[in-house]
Amino acid sequence: MRGRMLRTALAVLVFALAAGLVVSGDCLAQDKIRLGFVADVGGIAATFYKSQRQAIDLFIEEANAAGGVMGKKLEVVVRDSQLKPDIGSNMARELILSEKCDFLIGPTSSAVALAITKVAQEFKKIVYFHTSNTELLTTTDFQPYMFQVVPNTGIEGRGIVEFVSKKPYKRFGYIGYDYAYGHTQWDEQKAKLKQLKPDAQIAEPVWVKLGESNFSAWIPTVIASNPEVILSSLWGGGLASFIKQAQPYGMFKTASVTSLFDLDMLRAIGKDMPENQLGYARAAFYAIDTPQMKAFNQKYYDKYKEWPADWAIMAYDGLIALTDAIKQANSLDSDKVVKALEGLKFKSLRGDRFIRAEDHMMNCGIYVGYTVKDPKYEGFLIMKDVVEVPAEKVWRSVDELKKIRAEKK
Amino acid sequence: MVGPCGSVPVGADRGLSLQPILHGQAVMTIQYYVFLLVNGLSLGMLLFIIASGLSLVFGVLRVINFAHGSLYMIGAYVACTLATFLSGGSFFHFLLLLLVVPPVIAILGFVLETTLFRRVYQQEHLLQLLLTYALVLILDDVVRVIWGGDPRSVVRPDILAGSVSVLGMALPSYNVFVLLLGPIIALGLWYLLYRTRAGNVIRAAVHYPDTLGALGVNVSWVMTATFMLGCWLAGLGGVLVAALANVDLGIGMERIIECFAVVVIGGLGSVGGALLGSLIIGVGISFFQLPFGRWALVFPYLVMALVLIIRPWGLFGKPER
Repeated sequence: MRGRMLRTALAVLVFALAAGLVVSGDCLAQDKIRLGFVADVGGIAATFYKSQRQAIDLFIEEANAAGGVMGKKLEVVVRDSQLKPDIGSNMARELILSEKCDFLIGPTSSAVALAITKVAQEFKKIVYFHTSNTELLTTTDFQPYMFQVVPNTGIEGRGIVEFVSKKPYKRFGYIGYDYAYGHTQWDEQKAKLKQLKPDAQIAEPVWVKLGESNFSAWIPTVIASNPEVILSSLWGGGLASFIKQAQPYGMFKTASVTSLFDLDMLRAIGKDMPENQLGYARAAFYAIDTPQMKAFNQKYYDKYKEWPADWAIMAYDGLIALTDAIKQANSLDSDKVVKALEGLKFKSLRGDRFIRAEDHMMNCGIYVGYTVKDPKYEGFLIMKDVVEVPAEKVWRSVDELKKIRAEKK
Repeated sequence: MVGPCGSVPVGADRGLSLQPILHGQAVMTIQYYVFLLVNGLSLGMLLFIIASGLSLVFGVLRVINFAHGSLYMIGAYVACTLATFLSGGSFFHFLLLLLVVPPVIAILGFVLETTLFRRVYQQEHLLQLLLTYALVLILDDVVRVIWGGDPRSVVRPDILAGSVSVLGMALPSYNVFVLLLGPIIALGLWYLLYRTRAGNVIRAAVHYPDTLGALGVNVSWVMTATFMLGCWLAGLGGVLVAALANVDLGIGMERIIECFAVVVIGGLGSVGGALLGSLIIGVGISFFQLPFGRWALVFPYLVMALVLIIRPWGLFGKPER
């Protein structure tokens, strides 16, 4: 008898404990908003990841200190997609299914982003893209459970052409790696340039073997057509190499190489960067004149002892939009948050912005300026006289969007 | 200078530049082609320094060492690390890198040769290729673990950061430096191979390894030494490229294919052939950019194919006995 009672008591105890665990587990899940960050952690993406992660951590720290979102604390779970689309989509699945993440944060690589957006659609989990900027995410590959807070390839490519076409430049050149994206970008830029500036002299583009880091063979060919502005799809380390090598050929006495001068690139090339080069940033911490940006810069610098790169600013802005939408929807339900996101007006670090309902694209333009040394910043040049080319000037119109999506179907 | 208001176009500040340009229309003159020739030669010299090592190793060891590109990459990374300690900028520091890094790679070569390569000399080519290719993967990962994925570079010494005027056109001093260093290395190799006893032994090892052994020469030592020399050259190439471009994980693979083309064109095992092959490719890529655009990239492989059809043993090589 006694033994049986003991056994029953034990069973009850175990059951109660197990139930308690389940209940407290549930409570735990409900107390928190879990953000699954599918990140490209290593390789060429390492520097991007560092900035993104730092900004995300900073945002979470601030939001939680202020009491969280809807009374829930934020937390981030990171998985490495290793710049590979198949691994990225597996990691996104894992974050949704095993880690029970409520929302996803996108990677650096556009190829990985295109894989992740499909998983997000499949599981109806919202993902936002802050660095991967292929325009396809909001055109042919659009799905409602995503939004993009980085000027996409179209806004970038057409934006810089829009800017140079208003200036008295006449002669244009191009250098880029010989691969599909480079060719698409140049074809579009060339068409836009011809349309906006019919008298532009556009030289034959110079195509460099993909991945080549010694540009000596190509530099004289670029110079030979005597361009004033050399548009380029080179970026990051490759662009830094190119500029460093082209300088002693005298290229920058007569021309500007015009491409993405993000903070990491400016830091990589350092003092080898010539002055007065025309370029653009996706988000320039030193040029954006909003109280939010200034406060963010200071907090970021105090915490990490470095200035925020473009990727940090954009990753942070994405979280502002996401948490604002959650608050507005007062729910973690994806469909309700998507509804709040469409047309959402929010105070980003880059100023008052909105998310366009039709393609979930933030109206973020590029920041165009000319390189200059600034005593405030040791070790790298910044851009001066920076102006924003507003996204509204160059992004695809809603009619265009409809046409592109209809063509795909 | 350039102003954001755009009142003065960028082109207004015309300094030393490609002269044969009138009213924005490029006018190609003989000077421009001479300039391209010099530019291409310096490109070729850099290629030669790396490819000669590959060729030398094949000549004596009869192994196509795909890992040669990885050794070159490691040389570049070692140079970057050393440069951060030297906090570079001076020509002396750069010379120090040129003196120190190649022997480091040679010592790495010593370890690889005595532990791995030695075991496969008697094996079939497929097995040798498997070994060297496996080494590529392993060494790449070792580099990834030690140095990570961030691109690095060596600061060019100030004296080599400027440019010199070639027929009124600006040629980077660094290219001139490589252009001068290449022939010194070529002459040095020639002297070593044809004017010293060690060279005689190495050359004998290429054609008559058995006879050499019968004469009491330690052939396996000759092979180790030659492999180390090949690695020394790879390391030298690594230092030179680290000051020119950003070093990342891809540079080994990027270069080894071109080196392979060079060696096939010049003849496997021939250092003179490697020199000629490198110069043909360097000048070719530089020269044919303008008329052929992106198709200039096909040039090295076109020449390689032609050589393989007409003279399969390469321009300077000897047919297999």
